[in-house]
Amino acid sequence: MTPSPPPELGDGDRPGRRTLTSALLQPGAGWRLEKRLNVRPWHELIALLAALGAAVLIIAVLVAAIGKNPWESFAALYNGAFGGRISALETLVQATPLIFTGLSAAIAFRAGIWNIGAEGQFFAGTIGTWWAYDLWGGLPAPLSFIIMFAAAALAGAAWSSIAGGLLVRYGTNEILTTVMLNFVILYVLSYLLAGPWQSPGTFYYQTERMDEASFLPRFFSDSRLHWGFALALLTAAAVYFLIRNTTLGYEIRGVGINATASRYKGVRVGMVGLAVMAISGGIAGLAGAGEILGVYHRLQTDFALGVGFTGIIIALVARLHPLWTVAVAIAFGALVNGSTAMQYETGIPSALVQVIEGVALALVLAAAVASRYRIRRTARDG
Amino acid sequence: MKESNCGEDWGPVSETILSVEGVTKRFPGVTANDAVALEIRRGEIHCLLGENGAGKTTLADILYGVYRPDEGTIRFRGEPLELASPRDAIEAGIGMVHQHFELVPPMSVVENVVIGTSAGQWLNLSEARRRLGEFFSNYDVRIDPDAEVGRLSVGEQQWVEIFKTLYFGVELLILDEPTAVLTPQGVEQLFRILRQMRDEGLTIILITHKMNEVMELSNRVTVLRAGAVVDTVHTDRVTSRELARMMVGRDVLFRLDKKEFQPGRPVLEVDDIRLESETGRGSLQGLSITARAGEIVGVAGVSGNGQNALFDALVGVRHPSQGTIRIDGTDTHDKSAHRVSRLGVASVPADRIQHGLLMDFRVNENLVLGRHRLSRFSRRGLLNSNAVNDFAAESITGFEIKTPSASHITRTLSGGNLQKIILARELSGEPKLLVVHQPTRGLDIAASEYVRQRLVEERDRGAAVLLISEDLDEILQLADRVAVIYEGRIVSETAGGEADRETIGLNMAGVVAGEETTVVKR
Repeated sequence: MTPSPPPELGDGDRPGRRTLTSALLQPGAGWRLEKRLNVRPWHELIALLAALGAAVLIIAVLVAAIGKNPWESFAALYNGAFGGRISALETLVQATPLIFTGLSAAIAFRAGIWNIGAEGQFFAGTIGTWWAYDLWGGLPAPLSFIIMFAAAALAGAAWSSIAGGLLVRYGTNEILTTVMLNFVILYVLSYLLAGPWQSPGTFYYQTERMDEASFLPRFFSDSRLHWGFALALLTAAAVYFLIRNTTLGYEIRGVGINATASRYKGVRVGMVGLAVMAISGGIAGLAGAGEILGVYHRLQTDFALGVGFTGIIIALVARLHPLWTVAVAIAFGALVNGSTAMQYETGIPSALVQVIEGVALALVLAAAVASRYRIRRTARDG
Repeated sequence: MKESNCGEDWGPVSETILSVEGVTKRFPGVTANDAVALEIRRGEIHCLLGENGAGKTTLADILYGVYRPDEGTIRFRGEPLELASPRDAIEAGIGMVHQHFELVPPMSVVENVVIGTSAGQWLNLSEARRRLGEFFSNYDVRIDPDAEVGRLSVGEQQWVEIFKTLYFGVELLILDEPTAVLTPQGVEQLFRILRQMRDEGLTIILITHKMNEVMELSNRVTVLRAGAVVDTVHTDRVTSRELARMMVGRDVLFRLDKKEFQPGRPVLEVDDIRLESETGRGSLQGLSITARAGEIVGVAGVSGNGQNALFDALVGVRHPSQGTIRIDGTDTHDKSAHRVSRLGVASVPADRIQHGLLMDFRVNENLVLGRHRLSRFSRRGLLNSNAVNDFAAESITGFEIKTPSASHITRTLSGGNLQKIILARELSGEPKLLVVHQPTRGLDIAASEYVRQRLVEERDRGAAVLLISEDLDEILQLADRVAVIYEGRIVSETAGGEADRETIGLNMAGVVAGEETTVVKR
C-alpha cells in the first residue's frame, strides 16, 4: 500500500467538532457551546456591545483601584473628547493620523499580509515630506502640497516595499522585517535630525519650522483641524472602492482568503503582495505628511509615537473594513484627546489610554470569536 | 454486481439493537433529518445510502452524540438513549469513524489508541500494546503498534481509527464513507475485515453513496433522500438499479452519449518531464503523454504516484526540472499559472476547497476567479459588477447550481454545487485543454453523472480533456484512451474500447507485461 497524504475531502468543517475551541469548551452535560451555522450581523453587534461594556467595567475597576472615582473620570474623559465644539474638533485632529494608519493595516491584513510596520512607514513619510519641502516647498500652494504628499506616500511605500520585496522574493516573514524596519527608520531619522537637517544653531534633534506658506490650511480659525482630515476621509473612500470595485481589490481579498487557490487560478500572488505592501506603506506615509504639514510644521524625533501600532488595533477592531476603520479611529482619537483632559482634571495618567486600547482590542477580538458560537442548554443536567 | 457475500445463513431474526423513531433535525434553512425511523439489528452490516445532503451524516452524528435531535427518540439495547456528547455515545457502546481522521500524527499507534481512555493516572502502554497486537493479528493487519501515525498510509490510519473505537469496547460501529480515501486493495481488505467483525458479533452502520459497496457488503440498506427515509430493504432482494432509483427519485443514466471518436491535432504534448517533490513521494520521473483535440485521455493510477505533480505541472503551479510541456506548440514547462491559463487551459483540481475555490468569496465572485481580468468582466482595472452578476445568473441556471442567491458565501454550499461552480467557471472560456483531477470525488451519483456529461460535451466540442482519476469506473466510462501512471511515469496506454479492468489494475500496481499493452518510455 503506497502511503499518500490524507486528502482533503468533501463537506468542509461541520459544526460542533474538530476545532480546539469547541473541544475545550464542551462539557459532558449541562451547558454546551455550539458553532453557529450562520452568523448574523446582530450577533456580532451584540457581542461587540458586550465587549465594550466589559471594557468600560474593567477600566472602571482599574480607576477605582488607584483611588479615583471612575464615574468622574469617565465624565472628564468624555468632556475632553466631545465636551464642546473645540474639543470635538481636536478629537478629529487626533483621529487623522489614526485613520491613515488604520487603513494601512486594514488593506494589508485583507491580503493576509501582516504589515506591522505602519509606525516606520509613517516616519518614512515624514522624512519624504521634509525632503520634498526642502526641494519644492517654495512652489505655489496646491502644487507644493501635492508634491509633498506624493513624496510622503512614495517614501512610505518604498520603506514597506523592502519588506514586501523580501517577502515575495525570499518568503521572509513580513512581521519580523516590518517590525525591525520600524527601528531602522527611527535611527535614520535620528541621524538626519542630528546632522544634515538639524536646525542650525540649536542642540534639539529637530528641523527648523516650516514657512507658514507650507502649513496645511485649516478649516477653522480656532481649531487645529486641517485638510489632512479630509484627505484621510477621501483615502478611506478610495480604499473602500479599491477593495470592492477593482480587479486588484478582488485579488487582494482572494489572496487573503486562500493564496494557494488564487495562485492555481492564475492570480499573480507575488504582484498582489508587492502592490498591497506598497499601498499599505504609502497610506501610512500620508499620515506622516498630514502630521508634519498640518500639526507640527517641523520634523522631530519624538512626536506621534505609536500611531502605527494604534492603527493596527483600530484595523482589527474595525474588522478590516475601511469605513468602520474611520469610525473606530475617531473613537480612538477621542480617547487620546479626552485622556489629556482627564489627566488634567483627575490626575489619572494619560497612559491609561493604552490600557484602554489594549483591553478594548482583546475584548473585541474575543467578541468576534464569541459571536460565532452559541450556548445551548443540554438535557442531561441536574 | 447482484451476487454478494451477505450470506443466506444470516436471517432477519436477530434482535433489534438500535431503533430510531421520528428523529428530526433542523438547521437554519434545511431539515437535515425529517422524521427518520429505522431499526438496526444486532450483528448486521447496515448501509445508509443516499446522495450528498440526503442526511446520512447528520443522522450518524446524532447517533454518535455530535448533534441532539430536535424531535424523536432513539433506543439502544432497549434503553432510551440520551447523548450529550460523543463521549456519552462511546460509554453507551457506540463508536464512529469519520471521514476526517481524528488522530495525532506525531504520536505512535498505541498512544493514539490509548488517548481518551483515561483509565486512572497512569498509562498502561504495554497492556494496550498487547491488546492491540492481538487485534491486529486476529484481523491479519500488519501495523507496528509503535509506528508514528503520521507516517502511516491513509488506509493504515483508518485501521488505527477503527481499532481505537473497538478498543473502547463498542458494540455498534458507524463508518462514514470509509472507502473514499482507500485504494482498491485497501477497500478489499477493509471489506474482508468488516465481514469478519460482523461475524464476530459487531454491528456496523456503513454510510456510503457507492452502490457496489452496498451490494457487496451489506445485509440491509436504508435509503435516505432529502432527509427522509425512502425505505429499508434486504440487500439480496433488490437490484442496484432499484436502489439508485430510490436514491435519486428517478432512473439514473449510466450510459453517456458520446459522439464518434474523431481526434484532431495534438493539443497537449508532454515530453519526458521530471519533477521532484519535497517529500520524495509523488514525483514525476520522466513522464510523457499526449492529448488530442476531441479526445478524453484518462490517467488512471493509485494515489500518490505523481498525479498531483502532473496536475500542478500542467497548470503551471510547479515547474518540471526537465522536459517540455507543449500546449498547441508553446512550451509552458516554466510558465506561470497566469500565462498557462491565457493559452486556453482550464483546470478542475482534486481538492476543490483548497485549490479550486475561495470559500469565503461569494458565489458570483468565485465564478469569475482567474477570468476577472478579461475585458468581459473588467475594464481598466475596474470590475464590471453587472457583467459579473449577469454571468453568475447565467451559470447558476445553466449549471443548475443550487444556491440561495448569487451573492451567497460559497462556504455554505454542498460539494456537488461547489464542483458545478468550478465547472461553470472553467468551461465558460471554451478551453482548448481541460485538465481535471478527481472531478467526481465526494460527489453523489446525480452530481457525478452531471460532471461526466459535461466533460463529454467538452470533448465533443473539440477540447482535449485530460482526466486524472483514481476512480477506474469513471475512466473506463469516459476515456477514449487510458494511460496508467505509476511511480511518476506513464507505464501503459490502451485505447478506451480495448481497456480491460484487470490489465489496467495490474498496470496500476506496477505490473506491465504482455503484448496488448504498450510500455511507453521508461
